[in-house]
Amino acid sequence: MQRWHPIWVAVGALGATAIFAAGSLWLGGFDPLTAAGALVRGSVGSTTALFITMTRAVPLILTGLAVSLAFRAGVWNIGAEGQLYAGAIAAVSVGIAGVGLPALLLVPLVLGAAALAGAAWAALPAFMRVRLGVGEVITTILMNFVGIYLAAYVVSGPLQEARGVFQQTDPIAEAARLPMLGSGTRLHMGFALAIGVAIALWALFRWTRVGFKIRAVGAAPTAARIAGMIPANRVILVSFVASGAIAGLAGGVEVAGVTYALYPNLSPGWGYTAIAVALLAGLHPLAIVGTGLLFGALESGAAAMQREAGIPQAWVSAVVALVILSVLAADQIRRRRADD
Amino acid sequence: MRRCIGAPILVACLAFAACSGEARTDPDGAAPTFRAALLTSGPVSDAGWYAGAYDGLMLLRDSMGAQVSHQQTRTPAEFDEAFLSYAADGYDLVFAHGSEYMDAAMRAGEQFPNTTFVVSGGGSFSTNVVPLIFELWEATYLAGMVAGGMSQSGVVGMVGGVAIPPVQGTFRAFEAGARAVDPDIEILEAYTGDWNDVAAAKEATVAQLRRGADVIIHNVDGASFGVFQAVREAVDAGGVAWALGMNGNQNDVVPEVILGSAVIRIADAFRETAVAWQAGEVGGASIYAGSSTDIVDFVINPVLADRIPARLIAAMQEARARVRSGELKVPSVPFVEGEPGAS
Repeated sequence: MQRWHPIWVAVGALGATAIFAAGSLWLGGFDPLTAAGALVRGSVGSTTALFITMTRAVPLILTGLAVSLAFRAGVWNIGAEGQLYAGAIAAVSVGIAGVGLPALLLVPLVLGAAALAGAAWAALPAFMRVRLGVGEVITTILMNFVGIYLAAYVVSGPLQEARGVFQQTDPIAEAARLPMLGSGTRLHMGFALAIGVAIALWALFRWTRVGFKIRAVGAAPTAARIAGMIPANRVILVSFVASGAIAGLAGGVEVAGVTYALYPNLSPGWGYTAIAVALLAGLHPLAIVGTGLLFGALESGAAAMQREAGIPQAWVSAVVALVILSVLAADQIRRRRADD
Repeated sequence: MRRCIGAPILVACLAFAACSGEARTDPDGAAPTFRAALLTSGPVSDAGWYAGAYDGLMLLRDSMGAQVSHQQTRTPAEFDEAFLSYAADGYDLVFAHGSEYMDAAMRAGEQFPNTTFVVSGGGSFSTNVVPLIFELWEATYLAGMVAGGMSQSGVVGMVGGVAIPPVQGTFRAFEAGARAVDPDIEILEAYTGDWNDVAAAKEATVAQLRRGADVIIHNVDGASFGVFQAVREAVDAGGVAWALGMNGNQNDVVPEVILGSAVIRIADAFRETAVAWQAGEVGGASIYAGSSTDIVDFVINPVLADRIPARLIAAMQEARARVRSGELKVPSVPFVEGEPGAS
């Protein structure tokens, strides 16, 4: 079996990306070299940039893990976005109501509420899949809209700031906020938490019976059922709801670690990017930490391209999409070669 | 054989970063007088709110020798990060063009005492965080007078993005202006919930036109094209309808239906703010920019000027002079924390 060294694949992806991205930037009248310099400096070029990349990776890693857990069980949970919003709404509610509680109690309460809300958001499509046979792709997408619009409603309705002026909630209690992982940065405990969840999922799949059952159901649900030892529906239900809980946790971590309040457009679509993050990592929990960081680096580098190279956001988004495409293509080529 | 390739990519990026080193240079080699940055949460191609801010940034570069930078943010999580990046990079003056930046600006202001943060339409202040408030209601009052005088159906409409106090203020003044001309006029009010959703703004406008409105004012950003498009289609279908521009001079956008625009000369306001900041006068209080300094104005579309009765224009000009001198106080909705009238 011929194996392509990952470094060569990376070089190929980088080369293809550089050519496509530089070409499109050049067509737009921008200097590709300045843009590339800004992309790199803004993502990994300094400690500040590295910390920003890591902060940006947190919601991507968590939602990526949520998606991977569901996909492993053969559940196409496209609803991480809605589950994330449900988690964020719950986290803000508890974070505001819990004024006066000590941090040791309040932080777990906030994150627990977020996970619970995400799980509840996934429970409805999970139930419809298992009991009524309704495809979860459609139901989870629909639940996304409900979650996004519910957040937009609560910030101008029941949870709007006490002054009633702007479309946002009051800030959560100081004690509900995640501690920072270093002074002068905005990197919070959520990063460690995301790594912890990744390790836990890895251990689950590698060493436990539940993990084996999930993989078996995902690979061949009928076989698993006929073999008689695995209750496929229960496994689907549990992994679906657990996936929702992790996505909800992502929303809670974002509120408790970064924004401290709920806004109508909290997520730029992490729940959807999560699918690319998970698939690129081959659904491997530890690899998702890597792909999450990669996408986080692209996001923070993209912001720097605007700031330092003066390239408008629309162009930056197009370049980032090109980067993702060529990474996916290179990865696919590598896999096919590896299979030969 | 499944393995992630993210890690090697990151390694390659790091290697590239090490090689590329510091590549930043000033274009003309001259040392900048100061560094100014702009944050917007929408595209600067909207011919209105964001475009005006971008023009202001360019004005700081061209007339004051500032080194400038702009970033369009997408989510609240990016607010803090953008403030941090600019302040850590040594930017002196950061314009955050929208009330949504308020909380993040207050946090950044505490962390970076040497940077001044100016929040357009912001709702609170500290020693180095100041709201820049455009008294646009002074111009929408005049727009309301024109609308009231031009309406044949006796119904006019207002289409807003989000019902925040600065927007509500412009609509209350518009109502007062329309009623000053026609006390019996009926006024419709709708909010789409999104500053840049063109389709939603068009839908809301069509709904108001169907209910008989024949003059429509908006207060949205990028979505204004939807409002104008709906009015133009009504005219193309044989009806009589007019639109009013907002935030910037939008008279040229659809010159055949826009009677005039309630204009904020955002660029001039930015420049005046920067000049005051250089003199050490910015901090600890809101900056109000209104018609007395010519920052806010109502501009009649010259193409349609002859369609507006001369008596109406004369009445509007007379009111304009009284508003500018402070003799006529138009209704508004105060919203800065700790200032009179705010909740």
